[in-house]
Amino acid sequence: MIELRFHRELYAGTAIDAALVRLADYAQFERAEDGAHFVVRVSAANEKRARKVARELGNFALGLTVEKGGPDR
Amino acid sequence: MSESLFGLSPDAVVADLDEGAVHLRVDAQLYPLEAIYAAAYVFIARCWVLLDKPEPNRIRVTLTAKGAQPSADDLRALVGEFGNELLSSAWRHEITKTNRAMIEAVTMQAFSGAMGPPSLDELAAFDFTDEPFEDPLGIAQSWEDKYKKKPAKEGEP
Amino acid sequence: MTAAVTGVSAPAFVRFRELGDRVVVTSLDGEWLVLGKDEFRTFAKGDVVPGSELHGRLAARNMLRDSYDVRRAADTLRRRKRFLHAGPNLHLVVVTLRCNETCVYCHASRADLDAVHTDMTKETADKVVDTILRTTSPHVTIEFQGGEPLVNFPVVKHIVDIATQKNRAVGKSLEFTMVSNLSLMDEDKLAWLLEHRVQLCTSIDGPAALHDKQRKLPMASAFDRASYWIKRINAAYAAAGLDPTLYHVEALLTTTKETLARWREVVDTYVGLGCRALFLRPVDPFGFAEKTRRVVEYPRAEYLAFYRDAVEYMIELNKQGVEILERYAAIFLTKILAGDDPNFLDIRSPGGAGIGQLAYNYDGRVFSSDEGRMLHAMGDDTFLIGDVRTNGYREIVGHPTVRALALASNLDGQPDCVHCAYQPYCGTQPEHSHKTLGNLLGRMRESSMCAVHKGIQDWIFTTLATAPPATLDVLRRWTTIRPRDHFVQPSAPGP
Repeated sequence: MIELRFHRELYAGTAIDAALVRLADYAQFERAEDGAHFVVRVSAANEKRARKVARELGNFALGLTVEKGGPDR
Repeated sequence: MSESLFGLSPDAVVADLDEGAVHLRVDAQLYPLEAIYAAAYVFIARCWVLLDKPEPNRIRVTLTAKGAQPSADDLRALVGEFGNELLSSAWRHEITKTNRAMIEAVTMQAFSGAMGPPSLDELAAFDFTDEPFEDPLGIAQSWEDKYKKKPAKEGEP
Repeated sequence: MTAAVTGVSAPAFVRFRELGDRVVVTSLDGEWLVLGKDEFRTFAKGDVVPGSELHGRLAARNMLRDSYDVRRAADTLRRRKRFLHAGPNLHLVVVTLRCNETCVYCHASRADLDAVHTDMTKETADKVVDTILRTTSPHVTIEFQGGEPLVNFPVVKHIVDIATQKNRAVGKSLEFTMVSNLSLMDEDKLAWLLEHRVQLCTSIDGPAALHDKQRKLPMASAFDRASYWIKRINAAYAAAGLDPTLYHVEALLTTTKETLARWREVVDTYVGLGCRALFLRPVDPFGFAEKTRRVVEYPRAEYLAFYRDAVEYMIELNKQGVEILERYAAIFLTKILAGDDPNFLDIRSPGGAGIGQLAYNYDGRVFSSDEGRMLHAMGDDTFLIGDVRTNGYREIVGHPTVRALALASNLDGQPDCVHCAYQPYCGTQPEHSHKTLGNLLGRMRESSMCAVHKGIQDWIFTTLATAPPATLDVLRRWTTIRPRDHFVQPSAPGP
C-alpha cells in the first residue's frame, strides 16, 4: 500500500477525485483527509503496480488541478 | 537514501539516487504558485511530479524521473532545467500582468482577422438559449418581462 | 534605485543590445540606430545636447520622449502588424506521402512508392479547396507538397482546376506553387504546369556530390535531374517572354553538418543554376532528421560562422554584377530598412501557425503548420486542429490550439524577447519550442531558433554600422519586393 499526501493549498480536491475516477480500473483507492492534506492510499495486485499507479495519480492530480486553475476555493 | 548533489545547496536540493528523484525547496515568496504550477506541468511528461508545503512560504517539488535510472549528473541537469523553467514561468507571469492589455488586443485582432464573421449557417446553428451574461439590474430584460403582474401571494386579494 | 530620466533629451521607450563596442537601439515600432558606447551612455542618462548631431539622429528616429510622435509610431506599428487583419494566406496541401527520393534530413514523413493509401483523393481535395477558399485573407497561395507531389499529379491538376473555377465566385488573388524534387518531371507535366501558372520550387543541397549523398534517387543522380529541369523550366519562362530576373525556379537549401565547410561551393552551385535567392536554413528537429540527428546536427555557433561566410561571399558576388540574395537576411532587412513586414510566417509576432497558414494532410486532417503536421507523422498530435471532412473553416482557425499558438508566439509575452532589441523584427515558432524544449512557450536562452535569429541580426546590424556604401547598396536591393503577377491566377475565365 502506498500513501500519497496532497496539500489542500496546492491540489484541488475535485481534481484528485477526478483523477481517482480515471485510474479506478488500475488499483484500489482509499481517500481520507488529515489536517492540511488530502490523503489517498493506493493498493494494487503488487507493490510495483501500486507504486506506478500512485505516481500516475500524482501527475493526474497535478495536471487536473492546473487545468482547473488551482486548489478548490 | 537522500544526499546532496555536487554544486547544489542541500538547503535547496536533495537527491534520492535510488529512487531517481530530486526534492527541491522553492521559496513561495519569490516564485508565485502560478509559476510553480507552470514549471511543474511542463515536467509531467518526463517525470512524476509531487508538490507539498512543508512550511509556510516553502513549496517542495519532487521530481522522479521516468524511464531509465538517472545518474547524479542526470539529476543535476533535471534540477537545472526545472530551475530555468521556473524562472522563465515566474518572469512570464510578471510580463503577462504588465502587458496583458496589449497581448489580449493582438490576440483578439488575430482571431477576428482569421475567423471573420459567422456565416448564416453558423448563426442558424448557434444556441441562443444560453444565458450570455449576468444581468443583476435586469437591463436586458424586456419591459413586459420586467413589469408583468406578479402572481398574488396566498391570502392576498 | 536610479531616479527617472527627465528633460528634453530623456529617452523614449527603447530596447538595446551590445554588439562589441557598439550598441543597437530600437524603438517600440522598429526604428533603429547603432550608437557608440559613449553615445549610448549619454543617451541613456538623458544628457544629449539639444541641437547636437546625436540629438538630431535620435529625434529623426523618434527616440526622444519630448519630441515623441505618437501618431508616427502608431502608423508604423499598424503597418507592420497589418497581417493580423486577415487569416491564413498560405495553404500547404500534402497530396501524397509517397516519394521516390530518400533524404537524410527528410521532414516529410515519406512513404514508399507503393503506399498509394497515402495519396489524397479527389473527394478530400474538394473539401480542402472549399476550406481554403473560406479564408478571410484576400490573397491565397496553395502550395503543393508531399512526399513528392508529382507522384499524385492527377490530384494536383484537380485542385488547380476546381480552386480556379470556384475562386471566380470568391475573388481571391490566387496563386499555386509546388515544392518538388523535379525527378519525375516530364514535358507533358511541365507544359500543363506552365499553362496553369504553377510556380515551381525545388531543393538543392549544394554541389552534385553533396546533394546526391544527402538526397538519394535510385539508379540516378538527384542533382542531375533537378538541375536539368531547373534549366529547362527557366528556359521555358524566357521563351514565354517572362523576365528571367523575376521568373525562375527557386531552390531551398537544408544546411547539414557536411554543408558547413562548403559554403562557397553551395553559393556557386546556386548561381550556376540561375537561382537568384538562397535560403540558408539550418536543419530543424522535425521528421527523419531526429533519427540521424547526430550525423546532420551541429552547434548553432558553427552554423552562424557558415552563414556569415556565405552571405559575405554573396555580397561580393553582387558587387560583381551577380544577382543572388540570401532569404533570411532579406526578410530581416525588409523589416529593418523598409519598415515593413514581408509576412514570413515563422518570423513575425504572433507567428503564423493557424492564423497565417494551414497544412492539410493527404487524409484531410488539418494542422497549424507543416511543422505541426510533421510532428503528427512522428506520433504527436498536439497541433492537429481539425479535419476538412468534419470541421468548418471557422472551427479550424478558432481551435483552442490556435489560440495557444498565437499567445505562445506573441513576443510581448515572452521572457527575453520582451526586452530584446530585435523584438520588432523577430519571431518564434511554438512547434519548435514544443519539440526541442518541451513546451509551446520555450525558453529563448536555450532555443536554437533564437540563437540563429539573434546571430543573423547581430551580423546585419554590425554590417549596417560598419560596411562600405557598396555593401549597403546590395543589402538595400535585397529588400526590394518585385511582385510576380504572372503567377496570380486570372480572375475571369479564359477565351
